[in-house]
Amino acid sequence: MSDITEPNRTGRDIPPIAISRTTTEVNPTGSWKYIQPRYEDRVAPCNAGCPVGIDIEGYLYLLGQGRTAEAAALLLEENPMPAVTGRVCHHPCEDGCNRANLDEPVAIHSVERRLGDIALAGPAPTPPETLRDERVAVIGSGPAGLAAAYHLARLGYRVTVFEAAPEAGGMLRLGIPEYRLPRAILDRQIDRIAALGVDIRCSTAIGRDIEWSELDEFDAVFAAPGAHVGKDARIESSDAAPTIRAGLEFLKEVNAGARPALGDHVIVVGGGNTAMDCARSALRLGSVVTVLYRRTPLEMPAIPQEVKEAKLEGVGFQFLATPAAARVEDGRLLGIECQRMELGPPDDSGRRRPMPVEDGRFSMIADFVLTAIGEDCDLAFLPDGVEITGGVATVDELCESTTARVFVGGDAADLPRSVADALGSGKRAALGIDQWLREQAGEDPGELDVAALRFGASGNVSIARKRGTDPLHRAAPVNEVVEFDGMNPVHFKPAARNEDHFHSAGDISASFGEVNFGLSDREMSDEVERCMNCGVCNRCELCLIFCPDMAIHRREDGEGFEIDLRYCKGCGLCAAECPRGAMAMSREES
Amino acid sequence: MKKVMIGNHAVSWGVQRARVEVISAYPITPQTQIVEELSDMCADGRLPARYIKVESEHSAMAACIGASAAGVRTFTATSAQGLALMHELLHWAAGGRLPIVMADVNRAMAPGWNIWTDQNDSLSQRDTGWIQLYCETNQEVFDTTIQAFRLAETVNLPVMVILDAFFLSHTSEPVELTDQEIVDEFLPKRVAQYKLDPADPHAFGALVRPDAYMEMRWQQQEAMRETLTLMPEIDEAWAELTGRRYGAIENYRTEDAELLLVTSGTITSTARHVVDERRERGEAVGLVKVKMFRPFPTGALREALAGADRVAVLDRNISPGHGGIFAEEIRSALYDVPLEDRPRLFGYVLGLGGRDVTPAVIDSIVDRTWSADQAERQDLWVGVEL
Repeated sequence: MSDITEPNRTGRDIPPIAISRTTTEVNPTGSWKYIQPRYEDRVAPCNAGCPVGIDIEGYLYLLGQGRTAEAAALLLEENPMPAVTGRVCHHPCEDGCNRANLDEPVAIHSVERRLGDIALAGPAPTPPETLRDERVAVIGSGPAGLAAAYHLARLGYRVTVFEAAPEAGGMLRLGIPEYRLPRAILDRQIDRIAALGVDIRCSTAIGRDIEWSELDEFDAVFAAPGAHVGKDARIESSDAAPTIRAGLEFLKEVNAGARPALGDHVIVVGGGNTAMDCARSALRLGSVVTVLYRRTPLEMPAIPQEVKEAKLEGVGFQFLATPAAARVEDGRLLGIECQRMELGPPDDSGRRRPMPVEDGRFSMIADFVLTAIGEDCDLAFLPDGVEITGGVATVDELCESTTARVFVGGDAADLPRSVADALGSGKRAALGIDQWLREQAGEDPGELDVAALRFGASGNVSIARKRGTDPLHRAAPVNEVVEFDGMNPVHFKPAARNEDHFHSAGDISASFGEVNFGLSDREMSDEVERCMNCGVCNRCELCLIFCPDMAIHRREDGEGFEIDLRYCKGCGLCAAECPRGAMAMSREES
Repeated sequence: MKKVMIGNHAVSWGVQRARVEVISAYPITPQTQIVEELSDMCADGRLPARYIKVESEHSAMAACIGASAAGVRTFTATSAQGLALMHELLHWAAGGRLPIVMADVNRAMAPGWNIWTDQNDSLSQRDTGWIQLYCETNQEVFDTTIQAFRLAETVNLPVMVILDAFFLSHTSEPVELTDQEIVDEFLPKRVAQYKLDPADPHAFGALVRPDAYMEMRWQQQEAMRETLTLMPEIDEAWAELTGRRYGAIENYRTEDAELLLVTSGTITSTARHVVDERRERGEAVGLVKVKMFRPFPTGALREALAGADRVAVLDRNISPGHGGIFAEEIRSALYDVPLEDRPRLFGYVLGLGGRDVTPAVIDSIVDRTWSADQAERQDLWVGVEL
């Protein structure tokens, strides 16, 4: 390179690299396309699976953005008591979580609990500025009644709640032990509903303390009395045995503060949550407890976590066994004769029917037997025109009964018996009552399209979507649940689920203190980060990164993106790369 | 801070100190530890860079080209077949005048499948337009990695930092890790002359017609020419801060030498040992280490070699059908030296596929070079047994 012929310096401007002289904006590549992308939110399976109708994906998104107050507001739009459900709900939201296909479902209930506690610490809600004239009576202050009261009050109605028990809460207070739901949490959650202007009258049972006719002054009635009558276990007994009792009655006593001595050996009959609550409460009163269940662990209706905790605490289980006869001597229970069962063909519930095994008798020592095989409703107080079928009221999807002005919900309607289903029922009743009262007032509220308010085809309704009060102001999604196959999982890293922290099971005797401590703040944000925001744009910007034409831009209002169709050539990379299935391609519209 | 580390990690630390912003790489023995350590650094925050995982070396270089075109400091590392797979994109990087720095751990080309060191992988990429710097020690690896960014970003040419497989890559030596503030003073943030900018979008790498193509190549060649003087200047600037300098070539005990060994890479250290012994015995033997192979330091080598009686070039490489590649380049450089000053040249081919080059091997070369009148053939193969 020593002998270099110098170039002729003619003044030509040749850049050192191949770079276009003009901007590439002169080439509108959008003219090449025949299909084009669009942003289109769909429904996350958690939302579709929530009986309350909570926009779970929405509040997880807001938490992920650090918008905690808005997340709490969105949660409270649909759920009047997240600090309660975060503790006691059976969280079917987690069953459908697409994350399970990657590693494990997001611990939604743990996040809800934490966010619920954060909301409890915030300022109490206030009644709407303008109230309507109509008054609504709510019978029962359980989750269904309180949810209806909450939503009706927020819609501007004057609500009075009649509660038979001395304190509000219904089954939340009477049926659920304190170690699962501390009373301070329940009290504060109910106080916030009262703060909306809801008048809660305790120790006021219809038909006992006041007559149905006294409700005539109300423009509408919502009856949610719950299911308080324990089913009879039909244990044969030659002699009256005072220590064979309905488990629910026992729970009510304990939950009211009594600490009865049950004796050394307690048998709990049943496999549902009431049975688990009875067993764990009896354990705390110092007894050795065995649960007798006629099917196997697979068929148990109790929340699996409750069963797991019961086992950890020391509750024994006898599966495929049912009580047949009590052995009573001198009016004192000695034990019970049990019948060994086996599973036959499926029954109406889809579960395999238990059948007695020949010569399958055995006996167990018992000082006390608590039966928890289900509860019935006492609907005698309802007026005659309300049709009752199979022990529950006949109602439409917005809880309207066969009698004008009367709505029925919660356990008294044909629903799965859970806190979440009751809360969802109360919300639908509020919508139904609002619609009905507006029609009565001569307003024209238009047809209420309930299907359009549902998350997916079968999820519960969103009242925020009806009212337009969703802090995210998202457009209604395409009402189709996103499955894992419709997503692009390569963009998600495996991350283990954070499990709740539990009190050491070793020392629970005589203590009804809360056993589940939930998650730390750090663990909660890890769970929020694990959420894949199925079907919903969470502004991850992968579309923007992958667009080879730089045709995707952030919107100026910060809420998502816009596609510059002049340059989008319809390659579809954005929709293919979208991790959550929140984009779609379609033929170009002229 | 002084730490004992393998040569691969000396590269990683050089990259860390250089505050590289994007790394894209694909693993290959014996390079893998370089990018493993870098991915750890990215994960634990020691290096706030974007680490892009890819499915091949071709993609790794493509990602580096994209990132570098966007104006950020960019690094990758590879070896042997991985480097060969990048070949097309090496031209794109150089022709795009992108100051990418790449570590190549010298490994023999397959087949036969071989993971040990020789220089045929990097020398096969001689004409792609990359600056090539061969290192002798782990300290030199660390220092050269940092220097390479300043060099690359000054002349807008990509730089290959080359180290021997195992003899450096997997061998631990003490390395002084120059403090970050000193490196920052030496190597400021990159300022790109041309870069991808959404606010002013231009097409890069598009068609260039015959009426301008040659002018672009001329400018690339001028940048290489500038590098010949710039590289020693940058080396000197680094020496002022750290006391460590290497030069494009290094003359070791060459004063009045009649026989000069020419080496590169780790063979140099072995050869220094032999030269010391020969000098003790009164033999006029010296050593010239070639660090920079592209651009080729023709002038410096002429100056270093002219006047010696014999020059023995030790090539750990072979251009099949020709000879050892350093030897042939040096033979060509010496052509313009007047005949009376022109040394006799002996081109030895040795150490291929990782075969050991011991002091005894170099001793035998010195003896043979002393004893012969001239080389009996263009390529003198050492130690072949058939």
